[in-house]
Amino acid sequence: MSLKEELKSERVSHLDLSRFCQIVSGTAVRQSLANMRQNKTNVCLITKENALIGILTERDVLTKVATNPANLNRTVDDIMTANPITVTPDTSAADALWLMDEKQFRNLPVVDRDGKIKGNMTHQAVISFLAARYPVEVLNRPPRPDHFPHKQEGG
Amino acid sequence: MSIPITLNRKDFVSDQTVRWCPGCGDYAILASVQKTLPDIGVPKENIVFISGIGCSSRFPYYMNTYGIHSIHGRAPTLATGLAIANPELSVWVVTGDGDGLSIGGNHLIHAIRRNINLNILLFNNRIYGLTKGQYSPTSRTGTKTKSSPMGSLEQPLNPIALAMAAEATFIARSIDAHTQHLNETLMAASQHKGISFVEIYQNCVIFNPNEWIGLDDRRVRDENILYLEHGKPMIFGKDMDKGIRLNGFRPAVVQLGNGITEDDLLVHDETSTQLAFILASMEFPEFPAPMGVIRRVEKQTYTDGLMNQIETARQIKGNGNLRTLYESADLWTVTAKDQNGVASKQTGQLSLEVDEEYVDELDKEPEVTTAMQDRLIEDTIAALSPKAPITIDVSASLAKAVRQMNTHRIGCLVVTDAHDKLVGIFTEKDVLHRVVGLVEDLETAVIADYMTPDPIALKANLPIAQALHEMHMHGFRHIPLVDDEHRPEGIISFRDVVHHLKERFA
Ligand code: SF4
Repeated sequence: MSLKEELKSERVSHLDLSRFCQIVSGTAVRQSLANMRQNKTNVCLITKENALIGILTERDVLTKVATNPANLNRTVDDIMTANPITVTPDTSAADALWLMDEKQFRNLPVVDRDGKIKGNMTHQAVISFLAARYPVEVLNRPPRPDHFPHKQEGG
Repeated sequence: MSIPITLNRKDFVSDQTVRWCPGCGDYAILASVQKTLPDIGVPKENIVFISGIGCSSRFPYYMNTYGIHSIHGRAPTLATGLAIANPELSVWVVTGDGDGLSIGGNHLIHAIRRNINLNILLFNNRIYGLTKGQYSPTSRTGTKTKSSPMGSLEQPLNPIALAMAAEATFIARSIDAHTQHLNETLMAASQHKGISFVEIYQNCVIFNPNEWIGLDDRRVRDENILYLEHGKPMIFGKDMDKGIRLNGFRPAVVQLGNGITEDDLLVHDETSTQLAFILASMEFPEFPAPMGVIRRVEKQTYTDGLMNQIETARQIKGNGNLRTLYESADLWTVTAKDQNGVASKQTGQLSLEVDEEYVDELDKEPEVTTAMQDRLIEDTIAALSPKAPITIDVSASLAKAVRQMNTHRIGCLVVTDAHDKLVGIFTEKDVLHRVVGLVEDLETAVIADYMTPDPIALKANLPIAQALHEMHMHGFRHIPLVDDEHRPEGIISFRDVVHHLKERFA
C-alpha cells in the first residue's frame, strides 16, 4: 500500500491536529510568543471574531522577530501570514498532504464549513499516523538503535 | 536549598542490549515508560522496577534505575515490602498475564486489596511467550496453541474485573501501539497514591500476533476504542458518531442522531464502583474496548494505616524492645541430628541443546507485508538524500547562530566542538521557546547554553523506521546524522521522511 492509498481513505480530521494555539487579532507579538511557549507549540492561529485571519509560526519568529526585536511590541497582525489556505475536516489526508507539499507549507489549518477552527495539519501528524499504523516496524524498536538484538531468542 | 535536576529519557536507558524478539510490543512500552518517567516528579534514585518471570519481566534490565528481576509471580510481594519500608519510593511492578494472573495470581490480588502504593503494569498478550506459545489465563476460550491443539477449554480471566474485585483504587487500560494514550495513562498511574493497576494490551509478534487486530491498527483503532474521560459522555468512533447507552442493566452501542443525543449516553465517573464493573465487562469486539482511567478513588494506603498504628501503639506502650519481645515467648533450641543424605535418581544434567523453536517461528513467512512496511525496513536513512548539515561552533554567540540560520534559510544548526564532533542541536523551536524576548543580548549569549545538548543522532545505514520512531516518540523535527566518529554528516526532517515515502510510490 502506498502512502497515497494509506491516506486517501483517511479524512484529515482523523489525524492528530492538535499542534497549535489560538490568539485573537490585535494581541502584542510578545504576548503571542508567551502563549506559544505556554502551550508548548510552534504555531499560533490568529482569529478575529472567531474567524481565522492569519498564522504565525516559529519560522516567522526566526526571520522577523529574532533579527528585529522591536517587532515584539507590535501586534501579531503585523507579522503574521494573513489569510492562510485552509482545508475542511472531511478533506482526505492525502489531498491535504499533497497540497502542503505543492505549496511548501509546514502547516495547514483545518476549518469547517461554519468557519470553526478544527485543527492544524502538519507533517508530524503524518509521521504519528504512520508510527501507529505500523507499530511493529516503527514503535517496537529498542531504546538505542545500535542495541538491536543479534540473536533472535525471545524474552 | 536543593537544586532541581531535570531528567530526560536518556537517564533511564540502561546499557543492556534488549533481548525481546524484534518487533515485540514490549519495546514500545519500554519507550513510553522511559519517556514518561522524567516527568513524574520523582528523583531517579527513588524509582524501582520489580518483575517476576516472563518476557515482560526482563524490563528492569533495560531501565537505568534500581530494579529486581525476582521470583515467578512474586514481584508484588517484594514490592509490598519495599513500598512499606521506604514510602518515598516510586515502585513499579512489571508483570504479564502468566506471571501476574496465574503463577502469582494470589500475590497480585492481595497487593491490590491492601492498597499498597505501587504501580502495577500488567502486559497482556494472552499467551505464554517466554515458554514459547502456550495458552495463558487470559487466552480466549477455543484458542489453539501448543498446549491446547484443539482449543483452550478454559474461560479467560478478566484482569480489570479482578482488580475491581480486589477494590483497586486506580484501574486503567491502554495499548502498546498508542504511544500518546499510553504515556498519559502511565503518568496518571504514577500520580495516584495507593495501588495503580494498569492493564496494557501488548503484541507478542511471535506467538500471538493477531490478538489485538482492530485495536492496534491506526486506521481502525479509533473506531473500536472507547476513550474514557471523567465527567464526559461515552462517545466513540473515528467520527465521534457512536455512544454507549444503558438499557436496563446492559450497556449498548448506539448510533448518535435520529433522536439519540449525547444526553442519552452514559457519563464516565471514575468514582463509581458499579460503572467500573460495567466497563470491565465490555469486551471487544462486542463492545468498543474501554481505555483510559476506569476507576480512581482516594483511600488510605496500607503504609499510612500501618504507620498510624505503630505510632498509636508507641504512644500507649512506649518504644518496644526486641530482646524483651524475643524472651517473652516460649523458646526452643534446635539441635543437629545425624542424617544420611537422600540419593537422587536424577543425574542433574541439563540439556545443553539450543531450543530452535523461536528460530522456527521467526523464520516463518511474515503474514501480509505491504509495500510501505518494506520501505520502512529496507530503505535506509541514506535513501532520503540527507542535506549537508550547517554546523556552528559550540562557543558561538546566539546572534551569530540567528544570522546563520537566516542567511542559509534553515531552521536547524548542528553544534560541534573543537574536534568537529556533534555536541548539540539548535533549532528555530529553540529560538522561539528559549531566546526571543527572553535573552537580552544575543551577542554575549553563547549557543551552548540554549541548544539541546547531546541530541539523538542516527547513522545513515539505519532503516527509515528508526527515524520515524525517534520523530514520533520525541517530536523532533530534525535529526542529525553522524559518522562512526560522531561527526555530523547530514540532517533529516519530518518533511524529508514524509516526502520520501510519498515520492517512492508516485
Ligand atoms: S515471545 Fe512474544 S512477548 Fe516474548 S519477546 Fe517475543 S514477541 Fe515479545
